[in-house]
Amino acid sequence: MSTSLEPDFGTEFGGDLDRRRLLLGAGGVLGFLLVWAVAARFNPPYVLPSPGAVAAVFLAELRSGAMAAALLASVTHWLPGTVVGTALGIALGVTMAYSDLADDLATPIVRVLRPVPPLALIGFAIAWIGLNHTGAAFIIAAGAFWINYYAAYGGVDGVPDEFLDVAKSLGVDTDLGLIRNVVLPAALPEIITGIRTGIGRCWMLIIAAELMGVPGVGRELYTASQNLSVDAVLAYILLMSLVYLVLDTGVGAVQNRVLAWQ
Amino acid sequence: MSGDDRVVVDGVSKRYGGEDAVQALDGVEFGVDDGEFVCVVGPSGCGKTTLFRIIGGLESATAGEVRLSGTPVTEPSPDLGIVFQEYHLFPWRRVRENVAFGLEQQDVGAEAREERVDAMLDLVGLGDAADSYPTALSGGMKQRVGIARALAVDPEILLMDEPFGSVDAQTRSMLHEELLSIWRETGKTVLFVTHDVDEAVTLADRIVVMGADPGHVREIVDVGLDRPRDRTDEAFAEQVAYVRGLISE
Repeated sequence: MSTSLEPDFGTEFGGDLDRRRLLLGAGGVLGFLLVWAVAARFNPPYVLPSPGAVAAVFLAELRSGAMAAALLASVTHWLPGTVVGTALGIALGVTMAYSDLADDLATPIVRVLRPVPPLALIGFAIAWIGLNHTGAAFIIAAGAFWINYYAAYGGVDGVPDEFLDVAKSLGVDTDLGLIRNVVLPAALPEIITGIRTGIGRCWMLIIAAELMGVPGVGRELYTASQNLSVDAVLAYILLMSLVYLVLDTGVGAVQNRVLAWQ
Repeated sequence: MSGDDRVVVDGVSKRYGGEDAVQALDGVEFGVDDGEFVCVVGPSGCGKTTLFRIIGGLESATAGEVRLSGTPVTEPSPDLGIVFQEYHLFPWRRVRENVAFGLEQQDVGAEAREERVDAMLDLVGLGDAADSYPTALSGGMKQRVGIARALAVDPEILLMDEPFGSVDAQTRSMLHEELLSIWRETGKTVLFVTHDVDEAVTLADRIVVMGADPGHVREIVDVGLDRPRDRTDEAFAEQVAYVRGLISE
């Protein structure tokens, strides 16, 4: 997406354009830091700490191992929650979009459960599972579930019937064979987009999931807010953003690879 | 009907819908001999595509039945290779993998499969594009892949629904020649649905001319012209005019 006023010269000038965007982007970041630094001069540190102060806290937390510990704790529920929620969401989405029977059976339940935000499940998580990693993973799984359910449902629903006709005429005679050979590969672009969106959304959900007292990056954020250490709050927000950036770039690279045929 | 009929369409009728029912086909009846090239032509709305889907086992008839080598068709089978107008290649598979699809379902060993795929790609002249994805191909090339994919599993019959309807005229006449040479080389029985009378007269041994409302067989025309056929020939023009006359009656 180009927001510049210059015309887009297309891929022929891609190298130059990339360098230009990189420079402008760096300029934007610098400008932002400058405005922040100036604003920080006119405010006490407990309202707005300077960029330097935040960087110092970030490094201190990194060196002390507190960041690594929080990150590891978050990943301990984020990873299983995301994996389980993603797998179940895709499974239900594919099943319902493929089978009219499953669709008719489950649609009313889906309609009722869909608007429930994962946060509202905290009560259940506490009552059923407890204040631990599994409870947090449950909430995260709920978040991943719906995103992937909708992506998979839409993807499978959009698979042209003609692909199924072709496959049948070439000897695929079971539902499982059709799903494996045609439906899943044809719906893969939507399914992968769902997985990618879910991974990012679940990473943001750790804040909510850790609200109930499970350790992790989100917990550190709360503790810091309660202590009014805005510098630590910002340092942990920065950590969350960096992790998200790495995750999303990684998944994006996998996506491009798997969908090379597009 | 003679004993060596490969395809028998036996009184096939098709009715759609409940209260506002539409009769798409009414008592369609004809046979296709082993190794014969038969075209089905008719105006739009005569139920050609419905008939194609019923013969292919993709839809069921309301009455009557279709038999392949004596066996009633109830579902799609690898004995009958289908080629669609819009190709419907699997975009996530390379050309080679598209052609291999049917062989994979039959658990053909990897080596035999590769050999067969190469032979099919040679047959349709696409050896160079084997590792391309379908999006990179022109319409004519896509349909060559479609034909290679259908032929790979060695079906007895090739069933084609306006296969060259989406390519330009020049490519189409090239594909006509290629299809005829594949037909001669493989000895397959070909059943080819089209609305283009010129195309039917160029290709077919016999032409099943259909009428509409509801779809029925008007006449079965023996083309009786030697191949290769010349479109500028007078006899060719007469046949075309005759079939056109039947359709617009």
